[in-house]
Amino acid sequence: MSALGDPRGALADLTRPEAWVLGVSVAFLLLLFVALLSGALGATYFLFLVGLAGMYALLSFGLNSQWGFTGLINFSVAAFFGVGAYGAALMTADSSPIAGGFNPIVGLIVGLSVAFVLAVLIGIPTLRLRADYLAIASLGLAEVVRLVVLNERWLTNGSAGLRGIPSFFAGWPVLSTFPQTMPGLRLEVIPGSPVFLEEPFWRASLNVLLVLAFAGATYLTLRRAHRSPWGRVLRTIRSDEDLARALGKNTYSFKMQSFVLGSLIMALAGVFYTHLNLYVGPGDLDPITTFYVWVAVILGGSGSNRGALFGGIVIVTIREGTRFLNDFAVPIDPAPLRLLLIGVLIVVVMRYRPQGILPPQRELIWPSAVDDSGTPDRPTSGVREQKHSDDRDGNGPNGGDDDE
Amino acid sequence: MTVLGYLANGLVFSSIIVLGSIGLSLVYSIADFANFAHGDTMTIGAYSALVTFGAVGGLGGAVLGLPYGFFLALVVGIAVAAVVAVGTEKLIYEPLDIDSIGLLITSIGIAFIYRAVIQIRFGADFTRFDVEPLRPIEWLVPYGIRVTLHDVAIVASAAVLVIGLHVLLQYTDLGRKMRAMADNPDLARVSGIRTKRIKLWTWVIGAGLAGAGGVFLGLFNQLSPRMGFNLLLVIFAAVILGGIGSVYGAMAGGFLIGMINQLTPLLSRLGEVLPLVPDGFGIPIGIEYANAIAFVIMVAVLLVRPNGIAGEAAT
Repeated sequence: MSALGDPRGALADLTRPEAWVLGVSVAFLLLLFVALLSGALGATYFLFLVGLAGMYALLSFGLNSQWGFTGLINFSVAAFFGVGAYGAALMTADSSPIAGGFNPIVGLIVGLSVAFVLAVLIGIPTLRLRADYLAIASLGLAEVVRLVVLNERWLTNGSAGLRGIPSFFAGWPVLSTFPQTMPGLRLEVIPGSPVFLEEPFWRASLNVLLVLAFAGATYLTLRRAHRSPWGRVLRTIRSDEDLARALGKNTYSFKMQSFVLGSLIMALAGVFYTHLNLYVGPGDLDPITTFYVWVAVILGGSGSNRGALFGGIVIVTIREGTRFLNDFAVPIDPAPLRLLLIGVLIVVVMRYRPQGILPPQRELIWPSAVDDSGTPDRPTSGVREQKHSDDRDGNGPNGGDDDE
Repeated sequence: MTVLGYLANGLVFSSIIVLGSIGLSLVYSIADFANFAHGDTMTIGAYSALVTFGAVGGLGGAVLGLPYGFFLALVVGIAVAAVVAVGTEKLIYEPLDIDSIGLLITSIGIAFIYRAVIQIRFGADFTRFDVEPLRPIEWLVPYGIRVTLHDVAIVASAAVLVIGLHVLLQYTDLGRKMRAMADNPDLARVSGIRTKRIKLWTWVIGAGLAGAGGVFLGLFNQLSPRMGFNLLLVIFAAVILGGIGSVYGAMAGGFLIGMINQLTPLLSRLGEVLPLVPDGFGIPIGIEYANAIAFVIMVAVLLVRPNGIAGEAAT
């Protein structure tokens, strides 16, 4: 938008952390590009990583709409992710013990519906609880879901997991045969190490397209929702629930709506994961998945969807980078190394930058409500409403009408 | 196994849970956050004891089927867990300027760091203490109770530690100060109690008990880097059932949750066990859901009586 019309102005508007993130991202992209061209990084594998990053970004969007905007400490991310993944896999996979063989669209609908039911079931008892109790209770209920998936063999195939999952576009008119019909390409940028673009590459690029569509739609929906009066009520609940209640809002109902919305987004990520990985097992519901997503959100900045996107990319870099390190440099088992990095990252962020690297600044308010004086160097609260309380749209989180 | 047998197993497992839950409850009330690194503190205790025991060996004689060296290892495990916890408090938690939710999230990071370091050093596999496995005590077997001398040692040591804590809390200056601080930190501070120092002592006691619990858990089952984290939610269930901040509640909650956990197999045979219930009756829940039952109880308690069985009336 404005960044395209006036690139220099947009650049000058960036805060220091934004400039840093932009710089590092560009450098990282260049590095990846060079690796791709020289054949050091397989193009298909790279696209798989992009898909994975998109998936984490989706999960982070989901958590962000719960924790970042409403302040709900949800430690059951892995459960919703797993339910979405299993819902889709059970409907579509050959080895599914109950149904199988349905169109992936059916899987998508089933995954989301099951997640919806589960979100309401978990939300009813836990959303009335104090914040730290909610954390413990949701982690406990997520474990219950994991135990059910692990042990109910007749339903989920148990620890063996589900295989034989088709790609998401199976049964679609053109796209289902797209990877086969595309010609195999052979690029030789550096003589002697050609890069092949064949069927797996095209299949992976379809997946990337899919996750871009999912994440893009989610991002736009969330941005619209959080600028709306509904989103303002959520932010009021986050900063002061009693205030929201005193203003006549049914906070329980708003929290439930936010919880269900976030959970559906997580399940959507699960559905995508099923068709990306083509295998789903109970290990995918391990609590570590939950904490990966938490790291992505608090690192990026709670309440900031750009931050969530950035956090998702960092998580994939850690996940896959440790594997790479193990192969080439440090002979340490990647699993504990990953755990160590995640732990250190959490502690460092909480110690030095608890608001995250890219805290929400402009994205929560309508652009027209902000004056043209640029961004303050160090925003104290991240949202600049107090300063403009007499503006048209910026009359605070309690302003405007809402849908109650 | 008979009902008595399950009850005996429950008692042993309860002892471990009680040791864990007391520490978690103390830290929850005095440092004022849910410490997700508590389970991994137990793991630290267990692995420190493993290393020590491997180094010093048996040291001659044995009590209750356990060589003297094992008790030395137990003390070292307790000490290392306490030192690590105090170090973490000094280095990480104290300089932080965030609310209790921020501390909670930080403690997850700490938990990962503890576990990762142990896993890098010892690998992800299961290990055991190098103690000769014992046969169940002969004269109890006819009653259907299959406990070893090691189990007796676990229960006895846990009882000693719990009684020691009781004496400390009730009859010493430090205990009175701790109770005052758990009750109302600000009031404790204005009455001249050095709250920072009391907080450090809380970490020492809480983490020390957790370390002991970890050593016993390793003796009862096996050691693995995940052992503490896997038990953490069960311990949380015990603390919440007992009422956060109440040490005696945590003991009761730990006892109940440990018992329920080990009695799960009886659920499917309720008819045979209980009078007045038809023989074929049972709730078909397998032992693989033992932990799930604890979590569901935890959520139910949070809903119905958020202050637990020993807490004051809901506010």
